Amino acid sequence: MFNNIKYLLFIVNNVTKKLPYFCPACEAALKVTSLGCEACGTAVSGKFDLPVLAKMSSEDQQFILSFIKSSGSLKEMAQKLSLSYPTVRNMLDDLILKISKDE
Amino acid sequence: MNNPKSANLSKWLFNPFIYIAGEQALLIGWAAMLAASVVSYFSKTHFDGAIDIHFGASGKYLWFLGEQFIAWFSVVAVFYPVGLIFSKSRIRLIDVAGTMAMARIITLPVALMGFLPIYPVSLDNPVKLLLSAVFTMIPAIWMIALMFNAFSISTNIKQGKAVACFTGGLLAAEILSKVLIFYLFQFL
Repeated sequence: MFNNIKYLLFIVNNVTKKLPYFCPACEAALKVTSLGCEACGTAVSGKFDLPVLAKMSSEDQQFILSFIKSSGSLKEMAQKLSLSYPTVRNMLDDLILKISKDE
Repeated sequence: MNNPKSANLSKWLFNPFIYIAGEQALLIGWAAMLAASVVSYFSKTHFDGAIDIHFGASGKYLWFLGEQFIAWFSVVAVFYPVGLIFSKSRIRLIDVAGTMAMARIITLPVALMGFLPIYPVSLDNPVKLLLSAVFTMIPAIWMIALMFNAFSISTNIKQGKAVACFTGGLLAAEILSKVLIFYLFQFL
């Protein structure tokens, strides 16, 4: 029993939280309404849009990071990801389309 | 829940173009087509059209070689312009040519099937006829599935638009291949 509770606490403490960007009630896009300083406790409140990158899925964010790390070379990315060139190009084009729709 | 290993196997069987395209796919495809032309010469298997498979008729080796490359050329000659017109991506000829060549890898095991004792098929033997239909249909459907995925990956055209473009394109490629075979084979 004690071990189970310890295990549950371990899961709760180690779970990776995903940034929610859609309202669970009405599915509208969420905005940032407060920001806080962990050092001094200052809080800032208002209405701030989430940056475009923050609205993306973690896979899409990872893809963008790999793209930057590869200096924008799709050939190099294809080699690193063990995927074909057109597959990586299609992923990038789909991402561009997604960003264009969001803007 | 999907088993990742079986999902990976089905990708390799039906959509290997996720992993291989361009020059590499072209070389693999051409090697397979060349090997298939040699085997089909001995097993009397004809690929006389973009998606055609026929068994039983003998002929010169150049016909078997010509059929393979005309069938491949026809689909590339049709699907590359289709991709240029309908795709929003910057597509490359080498990807269309490479993936379409690799899709024809199926012709190698099909050419080997030509050695099966059920061929040549006569109309008065319904069992042989049925077996032949099954043996022809399965690889033909597999090759069409590979060609569709080759088209979709190399041009980044998906879903309904891909189905419409591919169906129309395949019909055009079939007609083009038949015309080319009819005219070019007069010189072989």
